[in-house]
Formats: sequence, C-alpha cells, structure tokens
Amino acid sequence: MASQGSSATTGAGAHAAGSPQALNQIVIEYLSKKGYAKTEAMLRVESAHTDHEGRPILSNLDDQPDVKYEKAYSHLKNWIENSLDIYKPELRRLLFPVFVHSFLQLVKEGYMAPSQKFFEAHSVEHATAHADDLMKLKAISLPQHIDDDHLARLYRENKYKVNFSKTTSNLLMHFLEETSDNGGGVILRIINDHIEMRTTAGRPTMFGEEEGILGEDEGITGHTSGRPESGATLPVIKLGPLPMAPEFMTDVEDELRDEDAMGVENAVGGEYNVTLLDEFQKKIKREETEESPMRDQIPLPPYTGVDIEREVRLVKESRDKMKLSGAPAPALPSVLMYTFHNTHDGLQCVDFSEDGTIAAGGFAESYVRVFSIKGTPLVSIIPAENLPVAPKTRRLIGHSGPIYGVSISPDKKYLLSCSEDKSVRLWSLDTYTALVSYKGHDSPVWDVRFGPYGHYFATASHDHTARLWSCDHIYPLRIFSGHLDDVDTVIFHPNSVYVFTGSTDKTIRMWDIQTGNSVRLFTGHTGLVMALAISPDGKWLASAGLDSTIMLWDIASGKRLKTMRGHGKTSIYSLTFSMEGTILLSGGADNTVRCWDVAYGTGAPTADAPEAVGASSSAAAAAGATGALVSGEGSTKSDGASTSGAPNKRKRTEIVATPDHLQVFYTKKSPVYKVLFTHKNLCLAASANMPNAP
Amino acid sequence: MSLWNGDTIKDVSESVGVANLSEDVAKNLAMDVEYRIHQVLQEALKFMHHAKRTTLGTQDISNALRVLDVEPLYGYESTRPLRFGEASLGQAQPIFYVEDDEVDFEKLINAPLPKVPRDVTFTGHWLAVEGVQPAIPQNPTPSEAARLSETTPKGASSNTTLSAASTLNPTTNETVTIKPLVKHVLSKELQLYFERISTSITDESTTDTIRNAALASLRNDPGLHQLLPYFVQFISEKTTHGLRNLFTLTQMMSLTHALLENESFFIEPYVSSLIPPILTCLIGKHLGSITSSTSSDPHSQTPAHYALRDLSASLLKLICKRFGDSSHTLKPRLTRTCLKHFLDPAKPLPTHYGSIIGLAAIGGREAVRVLILPNTKLYETVIRPEIEDDGARKNEAEMCLRALVGVIKLLEEEEEKEEGAAGGNAKGKGKNGVTPTTPGATAEEVKAKLISILGELVGEEVWRLRREGLVKAVVEAGGMKV
Repeated sequence: MASQGSSATTGAGAHAAGSPQALNQIVIEYLSKKGYAKTEAMLRVESAHTDHEGRPILSNLDDQPDVKYEKAYSHLKNWIENSLDIYKPELRRLLFPVFVHSFLQLVKEGYMAPSQKFFEAHSVEHATAHADDLMKLKAISLPQHIDDDHLARLYRENKYKVNFSKTTSNLLMHFLEETSDNGGGVILRIINDHIEMRTTAGRPTMFGEEEGILGEDEGITGHTSGRPESGATLPVIKLGPLPMAPEFMTDVEDELRDEDAMGVENAVGGEYNVTLLDEFQKKIKREETEESPMRDQIPLPPYTGVDIEREVRLVKESRDKMKLSGAPAPALPSVLMYTFHNTHDGLQCVDFSEDGTIAAGGFAESYVRVFSIKGTPLVSIIPAENLPVAPKTRRLIGHSGPIYGVSISPDKKYLLSCSEDKSVRLWSLDTYTALVSYKGHDSPVWDVRFGPYGHYFATASHDHTARLWSCDHIYPLRIFSGHLDDVDTVIFHPNSVYVFTGSTDKTIRMWDIQTGNSVRLFTGHTGLVMALAISPDGKWLASAGLDSTIMLWDIASGKRLKTMRGHGKTSIYSLTFSMEGTILLSGGADNTVRCWDVAYGTGAPTADAPEAVGASSSAAAAAGATGALVSGEGSTKSDGASTSGAPNKRKRTEIVATPDHLQVFYTKKSPVYKVLFTHKNLCLAASANMPNAP
Repeated sequence: MSLWNGDTIKDVSESVGVANLSEDVAKNLAMDVEYRIHQVLQEALKFMHHAKRTTLGTQDISNALRVLDVEPLYGYESTRPLRFGEASLGQAQPIFYVEDDEVDFEKLINAPLPKVPRDVTFTGHWLAVEGVQPAIPQNPTPSEAARLSETTPKGASSNTTLSAASTLNPTTNETVTIKPLVKHVLSKELQLYFERISTSITDESTTDTIRNAALASLRNDPGLHQLLPYFVQFISEKTTHGLRNLFTLTQMMSLTHALLENESFFIEPYVSSLIPPILTCLIGKHLGSITSSTSSDPHSQTPAHYALRDLSASLLKLICKRFGDSSHTLKPRLTRTCLKHFLDPAKPLPTHYGSIIGLAAIGGREAVRVLILPNTKLYETVIRPEIEDDGARKNEAEMCLRALVGVIKLLEEEEEKEEGAAGGNAKGKGKNGVTPTTPGATAEEVKAKLISILGELVGEEVWRLRREGLVKAVVEAGGMKV
C-alpha cells in the first residue's frame, strides 16, 4: 500500500526518478509543510516497513503463508538437532504431529505445490515409525480431501498426545516463545490447536528409547468412548477366573474321584503321583475370590454332561502337560505343524479344536472346510450323510464371499465362520450343516471368536465395530463401538467377562461385555493389529500386527511391559501363550514360528524361580532396577537399544531381534496362519505351502 | 506434482464428449483421481491382509470397490495374471492395454476338459521337538534356514580411523588461567540482575516459572557478557560448596547449559573454568545427600545423581563439539581425567559410571574403541564381586554395567552413520576390512570371541542384545588387540 501511494505521488512530483526513499522523503517534507500531520505520521509508519526498493519487508512469517510452515518446521528441527543429547529423543517425538499438521494446513489453504514439496522434503524422517499414515497422507492434495479423508479428519479433530519431561517442555516452550517471529509462533499455534503436551514426572535420560517405536499413550487416542485414558481413573476390572457353579464343581469332583479309582486299578506301579482330584483342587478349581467377577454377570446355559466331560479332560491334560517353565530361560515347546497343500493361496484362516482333533479352514472360494487331523472319519449323525463312507474332510457351503475367520466351539459341537458377505454363520459339527446366519454387520466381517465357555461369541468388522452375540439370538447383544477404523481381530478374556479388539487404528481396546464400555486402551503399535493373545492367568496381553513387533501389556494397569522384535518386516498372523504363561509363540508371513521368553525384561519373577539367576540375572535385574514393575518404562529402556543418533536417513536393512527371542523354527515356503497351545502345552500350527513363492 | 497426468484426464473427457477441458480443471481432476486410487488401494490392502496374502489381486480391488459403494469392474476376476501390452503411437506416450484374446467359441467347447485341480490336503510334521527342529525332509535344512534368516552381516567398516586415535595422546599439560585485565565496573542494573538470577536459580522455594524465566533470559538476552565471569565464578563456587545438594548441582548444570547456549557470549576463554564444575558433577564421589544416593528407597532405584551425571556428560559433549577443534589440548585433557578415574579401582562405582559415559561423550566411538574396550575385561574384576554379592553396591555396579553396554553400542551406531555418509565409498572399504568373522563360524565361536574381548559379564550382556552388527563391530574393534 505504501508503495502504491508513493508511486501515485511520484507521477505528480515528476522529480528525477530517485530511489523510493528519496521520494518518500520528498512526500514527507511536502506533507509536513502543508501540515498534514496525521497523514505524515501514517506514511512514516508504513514506509518503515519497506526495504530500499520499496518492497515491503517480510519480517513476519505469517505474511508468507506458502513457506511459513516449511520454515517453521525446519526451524524447529534444527533447534532439536542442536539441543543436548538427553533432550533429543523426547523432542523428536513432537516433529511428527507438527509435520502432519503443517502439511494439512498447507493443503487446506490451497498451496498445493508447496504442500507437496514440503511433504517430499520431510516425510523421509518419519518413515520408520509412521510409514502407514504417510502413505495415506500422501494422497491428499486438494482442500476438499481434508474434509473427506478419514485420516486427515482424525488428525484435525483429535489431539495428538506427546509426553514430555518437565525440563524438556520448559525448554521447548521458551524456545518457541523466543522465536515466535521466525516460526515459533506457527509451531505454537499448531501445538495449541492439535497437540496435547503432557508433562511427566520422569527425567530425560541418556539411554533413550528406540527410534521407530512410539511411546505409550503417544498419538491420537480414541475419542468416541469419552473416557479418560490416564492411569488414575482407569475403570476397575476383575481379571480373576470366572467362578464355577457349586453344583458343577461337586459333579466334576465326583467324576474325578471315579476316574482316580479307575486309575489306581489300571495304573502300572504308581504312574501318576498326583491324583486328578488333587490336580483339580490345586490348579483348576475356580472359586469366588476378590479378583474374580460375579458368576451371575455372565449368564450361561445350564451345564450338561458334555461340560463335565470337558472339565475332566482339562484336568487330565493339565496334569499330564509338558512343563515349560524353569530358569533362567523356560524350556522350549514342541510344535506340530500342519501344512496345507494345493490351496493356491485360497486358505485364509485356520482354527483348531481345543483337543487338537479337528481343524477348520476358511477359503477365499466362500466355503469352510473341516479336516479331521487325527485321521478318524467325520461321522455325521444323519446316516445318509455318511454314505458311502464317512469322509475325513467335509466342506461347508453357504457363504457368498471369502471366509475371513473360523472358530470351533470349546465343546467341538459348533463352528462359526465369518465372511465378506457381512454375515456370520453357525454350523453344527454333528450334522455338518448350517444352523444360523447372523446378520447385523454392515460390512465384511474380519474375525469371529467363540467365548471360553462357548455360547457367546464376538465378531470384528470392517464397519468399525465389534459385536457380541449369543448363539441363541440372531441379533447382537452388544455393539462395541469406539475404534476409529476397522476392527481386525477379537479375542475373549479367559474369564469371559471382557473382550479385546485390535484395530486398523493401531490400538487395542478392552471391552466390558456387561456394560459394553471400553475399559482399557492400549496404544503403541505402528501398524494394524492382526493378532492378540491373553496369558492363561488373565493378567497379560500380547499383541502383534503388520508392524511385525509383538507387544506385551499388563492388562490391569494398561501399561506396556515390553516390545519384542525379530519377525523381519512382515505381518504376524497369530500368537499363543503356553499354559504357564512363560512362553509366547508367534507365527507370521515370514514363514517362521518364533518362540519368545515372556518374563524376560518385564521385571516379573519367573514362575519357578522367584529371582532370576544366571545368565539373565544382570539384564533382568537391571530392568527391574529402573522400576519396570512400577512403570513399565524401564523395560523398554533396557531392551530398546539406543539407536537415536542423527535422524536415520538410511533405512535399516536388518531387523535386530530383541534379547527375549528364544528360538526360531523355519518352514519350507509356508506362511504360518495359526499357532495354538493345547492344554497339554503342545503347540499346533497351521501353514499353507506356497511352492511358487519367490 | 501428481503422478497422474492431466493429459489423461483430457483424453478421457474427450472420449466422453467433453471437449476443451480447461487446464486447471484437468489438473484438479487428476489430483482427485489420484486420491481416489489411493483410497481404493487402501481398502484393497485390507482385504489382502485379512486373506493373509502378500500379493494384491484383482479380487481385492473388486471387494474394495464394493465396500466403497462403487460398481466393481467386471471382467478382471481371472485367476491368471493380467498381461499388459504396449502400443506406441508415433511420438506420443505409449499406451498400455490389457491383452485379451478373442476366444473361438467352437474351439472352447471342443477343447478337452481341463485337469481337475488337486484337492486341498494337509500333512503334519514336527516343526520342533522340545525346542529343537528335527532334521526331516519337511523342515528346511540348516543351510536353507541360514539363508532364510538373512543374517549375513553388513559390510565391515574400515580401519582407517586408526590414525585419528593418535590425537588422543596427551600432548601438553599447560593450564590456562584467566586474569582479568581490566577492573570490572558493573552497572547497578547488572548487579541487580545478577543477584536476582542467582537467587532465583539456587533457591529451592522459588517456583518453576521464575527459575525457567531466569534461565531463559540467560539463554537469550544479549548484553550480559560483562556478567559472564561472575556467573562462571558463581557456578564453580556453588558446585564446590554444594556437593551434598543435588538440586543446586542440577541447577548449576542447567545454568552452564544456558550460558553455553547464549549466542552473544564469547565464552571460549571461560571454557576451561567451566569444565571443573562439570567434571565434578560427572565423576564426583558422592553427589547429593547420602540418603538419596543409597538404594534404600525401592521406588527410585535409579538414584537421582545418575541423571545429573548424564546431564553433565551431555554438556561435556556439547563443549567438545564446539571447542574441541579450537583448543587442541581440551579433549586429551578431559579424556585423561576420565580415563584415570575409570582405571582406578579404588574410586567409588558412581565415579566409574560418570567416567564411562564421560569418555563416550568426549571421544565418541573412537574413545570407546581405543580406551574402553581394551579395559572392559579387566574392569569386570571390579564390578563382578559387587554384582554377585547382594550388597548395597550391587545397584551401583549394575549401573556401571549398563553404562558400559550403553557406550559399547556406540561402536555399531556411529559406524552405521559413517557408512551412510560415505555412501558407496563404504562398500569398497568393507571388502578389505579387517577379519570378517568367517561365514562358517558358529554362534558359539563368535560368542567366545566376544567374551574374550569384553570379558564374561559384559560380553554376555552384549551377546544377549542379539545384535549382529554390534557383535561384529566389537569383535572387529577388539580384533586388533587380541
């Protein structure tokens, strides 16, 4: 404006075309001579902001909207890289949300070329931890996309949480305020609008966490459940086992007494020194305790002979199981691998029955196939079905889309399957026919799982919800909604009172099936969660997914105990705990089954040795010393190698296994779809052979 | 800018009868098309993941279109791979199309039936028996497994850095003393400022905000350098007299940090006066009150003074980075002090801890390689009895062990960085690098080697990290000494 004004007077003045300053001088002289004091003052003020060519000086970044984010971001990054080593790891965590919002803001304001340039220049820095989101954000190029795109909305409507220690956040705030003209202001605005900075009591440390792993609670957490996520107000949960009905218990005890008597008659010289009854009373019996939920919370149908039979079998198996505990490292399990051939990549999911006699596979060709893995024919109770001879494998046809999940009920009488056709079907394993089709989901159903006592089952779907059903109702009993993206996998807690879901939004939620509320939220994965497992004592949760890391969580506190790495860069499909909870097995797309030491680095004593001794002593104790039991932070510190040097431009070519990785078993070109520990501590695994794979 | 070309949009629009599409519209549409393609791909990927496949198929795309409420593309759901043909029209861009042969109906009917595919079957085998993979044909052979694991170590680093080690040799032993050349006249304002700052920083009762404001002012305000010697003096005084007060020490280190950060200070002449307080905080015998340094409190098992030591080490690193080049005696002197403390078994363990992280901070990888690595094995004799014995000093010894392992990790990290910087150059060096662990060497041999270099305790610990590169780096660095 000032330059316009001066150029207008230039023409009138027609003086020798001097520099704009000279012109201004002339005009000012003129104005003061005429006594236009106000106009003169105005001109003085305005001309102060022009350089010698008469162009306005852009002192404030806000006047250059197309590059201000770029400048501000680089400004912040430079500062972080030049700060003291002990602050760097914490400060670096801020860069990603600032990056995302700078980018989105640029797009929103319609600066397409600058936004693309900005993205290209800086996205590399975040590729390790946020590759997924980057890929999705990359597609956003028009302002309309921001309101349209799921992920962009997620970022803009929710606050991104970052944890800082007090000193660090003070440093940062002062820096931003000091340099508010050079970009600090821009960053501050982003922080105020979209980022929640939480200060934690801890001190910054030298040996920081590993790059590429998000801190706990970091990032955007779900908002729809409207629950506070902080540790102080976590809803109370009861993780104890579901108590048995007293009558049921006496019945089982009677049965066991009979069995024991028979055993004494048949036993060859005191083969078993523990009677079944003892075993039952010591380990299996579930009475009401402080920790256990009320029995009437989960109404189950009255028990039958089959239930007693199953309980007796469980007691027997528990007594005869292989012991997989011990110090310093637990004994390694045996794995029985079932490899499926000629599937042409059509096999999509597998489940085993609890006793390991049958397996069911869901196929892309819309059918479920039941295999007798013991070799006994699958006899239907309909005589005509067994002609000419009862087959050893049966096909269940009914779905109209690929099958994504199958689950066999604990009593081996029913089978559930879920499909792309949005329905869940219940099949009888007595007649091998369809019984019910459950319709309710709005989108393909990704997973289905029977509860630990049968009767109830849970489903996970593309429509962002998980649902709880009982076999005798065709509508869902509960709808668990709160995940911000697809729900990919679902699992019951051993006491049947809670359901855990893993989602594409990279979180895991724990739901109370009574209230339908989300009671815990576990955040930290950097890819979608494909597999969950809960330790048999109901205290710990293991999760894994596309980011090829396994995380171990303490359910009660909702804290991460440790992260286990080693599965290459491929997805993990299945997890299972041994009966003692000492060993975790995982199977994945890298054609391996891997064996993990659960207790290592968690600060928890191993089952038989109250204090870790020998080789693992120093590391485990060091982890304990940093307060792993209290906060769970220590363990990540001790196992997380400090690779936080300068931003790692080069992609890491190898994945380094964490120290708790005990053993790896390779298969021949067969991705492992399912691993499952039986009650005897034998691990069953299923894989599909891909002879043509590269 | 976008992968999708605006010309394509124009071609399409012409084909549906919209001529003269403006450039802007075409560009915008192109970007939108790209976005939609991404959207479809994202959905399709979900279907691929849930089918537990690693290749995306046409079926996944149709499923994705269906959940996005778009009519699927028909005619592509074939099990045989799509073949793309290419046709070029003169100078124009090549055009790609799906090869779709015309099928003679007659021929198709008369053709013999295709072979019935083999039924899905399964076989069971022992993948592992009590943790051991049996050598049966169903399992991959050990050599196959080794190939699968792809644990081939990366190219070895060069040993060209050896010459740099010589700089660590102490050369001179002169001490720099600073004498005020002129009498200082401090203005009243400055005196007041100094008083305010010093009390607010050292007074535990002031609120955080005030303290932070004080530090922030020191960090940024120009025109304070008259006060600089006073602050330096203040720091060394407070540090000497406040050894029992962890709060004061930490504040002094923050103050030092703030002074180093302020760009308007010409701090270089004062560096040598700043170093003693920092060293005190790094390798002091007993920092903080006696009660807080023992591990009596089960909840704070890492006593606070370790955090102070970490902070001091960071400061040393900053100083070495900034002034190490201009004052060539600086690094050797610091290194020698730290090394002396590290190698003196009579010193208390927290001092050892400080000197270990100090050495790593000052000299980086080279210091670790030349000074710490050869001594690790010997040092084990110092901490081993403490770790095994469950006494009061177990905790301290473990902190030392952790620090050792922590700095040994530097060996690998920085190597990686160098490699990254050197780019293709590094590869050439890797070939004639030193003693690559022979491919045939079993894990046990490598482990034995590692232990022979590092000693059992640290060796075991490093081994347990299972980091191939690290082990290799250590073996290499130690290889010259063994």
